[in-house]
Amino acid sequence: MSGEAVEKPMLILKDVHKFYGNNEVLKGISLEVKEGELVTFVGPSGCGKTTLLRLIGGFTEISAGDIILDGKRINDLPPNLRDTRICFQNYALFPHMTVAENVGYGLRINGWSKENIRARVNDLLEMVELQAFGDRMIDRLSGGQQQRVAFARAISLEPKVLLLDEPLSNLDANLRLIMREEIRKLQKRLHITTVFVTHDQFEAMAISDRLVVMRDGLIEQVGSPIEIYERPANRFIAAFVGYVNFIDGRITSIDKATRSTLVETEHGRFEIALEQDDIDQGDDVLMVVRPESITLSLDFGIKRPNVVCGTLKSYMYAGSLAKCTVVIGTMKMIVDQYNPSDAHHFKQAEKVEVEIPRRVHLLKKKR
Amino acid sequence: MARAEYSLKLQAGSGSRIKDFLNANLINILAALLFLLLAFFLLYPIIAVLIKSIRGPSGFTLEYYRAFFTKNYYYRSLFNTLLLGTINTVVCLVIGFCLAYMTTRGPYLLRKPLKVISLVPLIAPPYLFALSLIILFGRNGLVTRMFDLHWQLYGFAGVVISQTLAFIPLAYMMLENTLMSLNPNLEESAYDMGASEATILRTITIPLMAPGLLKAALLIFVMTIAEFGNAAILAGRTPFLAPDTYTMITGESDFNMGSVLSVVLIAPCIIIFFVHNYLLEGKKFTTIGGKPVASEPRKITPIIKIPLIIVTTMATGAIFICFAVVLAASFYKILGVTDKFILANYLDFTSNQAIANSIRVSFVAAVIGAVIGVLLAYVIVRGKFFGRTFIEMASLSGFALPGTVLGIGYLLAFSAPPLKLTGGIMILALNCVFRFLAVGVEAGISKLHQIHIEIEEASADLGASFLTTFYKIVLPIMFPAFIAGFIYTFMTAIVSLSAVVFLVSPGFQLAAVKIFDAAVYGEIGIASATTIKLILIVMLCMAVLNYITKKTRLGSGLKQPVA
Repeated sequence: MSGEAVEKPMLILKDVHKFYGNNEVLKGISLEVKEGELVTFVGPSGCGKTTLLRLIGGFTEISAGDIILDGKRINDLPPNLRDTRICFQNYALFPHMTVAENVGYGLRINGWSKENIRARVNDLLEMVELQAFGDRMIDRLSGGQQQRVAFARAISLEPKVLLLDEPLSNLDANLRLIMREEIRKLQKRLHITTVFVTHDQFEAMAISDRLVVMRDGLIEQVGSPIEIYERPANRFIAAFVGYVNFIDGRITSIDKATRSTLVETEHGRFEIALEQDDIDQGDDVLMVVRPESITLSLDFGIKRPNVVCGTLKSYMYAGSLAKCTVVIGTMKMIVDQYNPSDAHHFKQAEKVEVEIPRRVHLLKKKR
Repeated sequence: MARAEYSLKLQAGSGSRIKDFLNANLINILAALLFLLLAFFLLYPIIAVLIKSIRGPSGFTLEYYRAFFTKNYYYRSLFNTLLLGTINTVVCLVIGFCLAYMTTRGPYLLRKPLKVISLVPLIAPPYLFALSLIILFGRNGLVTRMFDLHWQLYGFAGVVISQTLAFIPLAYMMLENTLMSLNPNLEESAYDMGASEATILRTITIPLMAPGLLKAALLIFVMTIAEFGNAAILAGRTPFLAPDTYTMITGESDFNMGSVLSVVLIAPCIIIFFVHNYLLEGKKFTTIGGKPVASEPRKITPIIKIPLIIVTTMATGAIFICFAVVLAASFYKILGVTDKFILANYLDFTSNQAIANSIRVSFVAAVIGAVIGVLLAYVIVRGKFFGRTFIEMASLSGFALPGTVLGIGYLLAFSAPPLKLTGGIMILALNCVFRFLAVGVEAGISKLHQIHIEIEEASADLGASFLTTFYKIVLPIMFPAFIAGFIYTFMTAIVSLSAVVFLVSPGFQLAAVKIFDAAVYGEIGIASATTIKLILIVMLCMAVLNYITKKTRLGSGLKQPVA
């Protein structure tokens, strides 16, 4: 999927640090963003993602390190001389100008002729499907329309890097889904290198070529949505990108040929198809079991591999999915049962079986 | 059965008719009482001035107005006043803008010190600047003697300079407020699109500030043309409306002409009030929500930066020097002439007597003002009766009215029966109460807006009568507003000059008037020491207010989520 991107770094961050007084909010960020790629900074609030974005845009001064845009170091360039454009969370549309004047602002500043501005603004408004709204004042637009204007204004000068700071957070849930698809479509069509900031991990996974998961001023992991979700680097990331059940265990044997691995846990022994190279026999590990990968069935008392018995504590039916809580010994396990056609059986059930899949990601515990 | 009886009793009320009547109508009774007070102590004096201006010895006449518009002297007085207002407004806005821009967009290091110095004049009586200009540039002034200059401080220039310095804080506060409320992302977006600092200012910042700028301009204009102290001390032979009114009354006892001058002074205030309401109708640029981020410092280009730095340095430097010379002058008989360090100015009996009187008057004014202010605020916010808007406008208007007008008005209204108050402490206190009523009312209104009506409804719902609710719920919640109203009224009253100067009696001098007299008669040491004492009192008040605010969380208080 990300193979379409040309393998040329458009934006390079080298060991970027940012201090506010004695408070270090960015503690050494290094990253390459390829041309045409959409990279998302995601992390809990206060992790430094917005600061990093503002730093790339030139609104915040860098304390140490380098920012390289298309081969040129831009550390000391003010925003008006950088070929980056930002789209703020609150859109920052100029309330004293019309839609067309907003979109054409950058063109006017950069000395475009009146006819060229008109033509370009028309194209841009067409692109975001607001042709009829050029003469409107900003406060007469809906949230989604304002978002489109902000986007059109940001891409008007065809920046080398587009910076989007939580652009969807002011929209309601449905509109957010629609807009994120539209942004992604336009971004791909125009092939604009884009840095997207969000605290919404699902939005991040849906829209990005690559995710940069940040915490506490540091990058925790960089990877495609699939990599981050299926092979998280640590416990924090595993829990950050979706719900997860952790099971403590120890590797008792690894079959050299088939990579079939046995993990001994408090709740029994599980057989895993090991995909990682960094795990050896005798290692203490954390099994990362996603709720939707578990199979839930009624307990008929027949012993099978990778199956443990438990008590169904709650069963919340929500149409396409049922959210269940199963207590196994001292552990509470969350299970998502998709397409729960036999829900009525579980509604009354108490004893259930839980089957852990063979494909489970393992996190090695530090000794 | 018992239950039914109980609910019957609830419907029937408490049994006492008077109590029931009070419960049902208290807010209206309150409103009526307050209306009477406003009418008697605010409107009646103003009307008295209007009537005096059109009533001669033989009944109705426009003779006095004819005199005003035909005599060259009055015409010049009007012209000077309007010119002063215009120059002052423009200069104050420019300086205020530069200061506000630096404290909201400039380097972090400069923000705090600039802000503090810009606001410092608030703790001093505005005529401090007239005094310091005399100390520096007067006939015996430090600078005048040092360079053996032969210039004339007294006149138009002196008034303009002192007035400008006095109104910098007001301009600064209003413009800082406007700049702070601008979403910083707007300017950043323009910056991001390639605009330079100057272009951002021209295309984004100033257009978006326009309503705020206009509002500040109108207010400063009204305040400066009405301001009495600096003009009275430094005008010399140059006529200005406010001090001329004073000379007309005290020097020539010509109440008719004095009233005409006052009416002429009110006229621009009223015109501007309506212009302001008309112009700003719905003209507020609202920006889309999101977290307001404090503006980060920008690399301001030299073309903008150098003028900014020059203006802010000069303004803050001038303010600083003015305070410093008054402090220095308070320790000498005449600074620069006699060089013996003395404390006599601080020990001066008449000065201390005047300070004591001022404290008494301001205290009485503050108590009454805070009570009426809180009650008025309650009636304005919660009341639903005919004339509510009128009461609100009336109670807030005292502040914008020229002090001289209310001074003459009180002289005219209360020097003869039915209510003869002249010569006592009450006329001074009441004058301050109704001039500065806006202070207490504003404090009360802002407090009430934080309290949801639901709290009172909840109390009523639980069975409390209106009286009980008011007594048990509203008053305790309003108490911080009362304290704030008290201290603000006290601080404002103790330095005010323009109205009380008409009302003091020879045996009962006030500090502000003492400073004024001493400055006029060249007793610079006494004037300076008295000023410093006033500053210390105001600083003490602010410290107390600060302490209480922190203790009771008066500022944030019971904040309710806004639905």
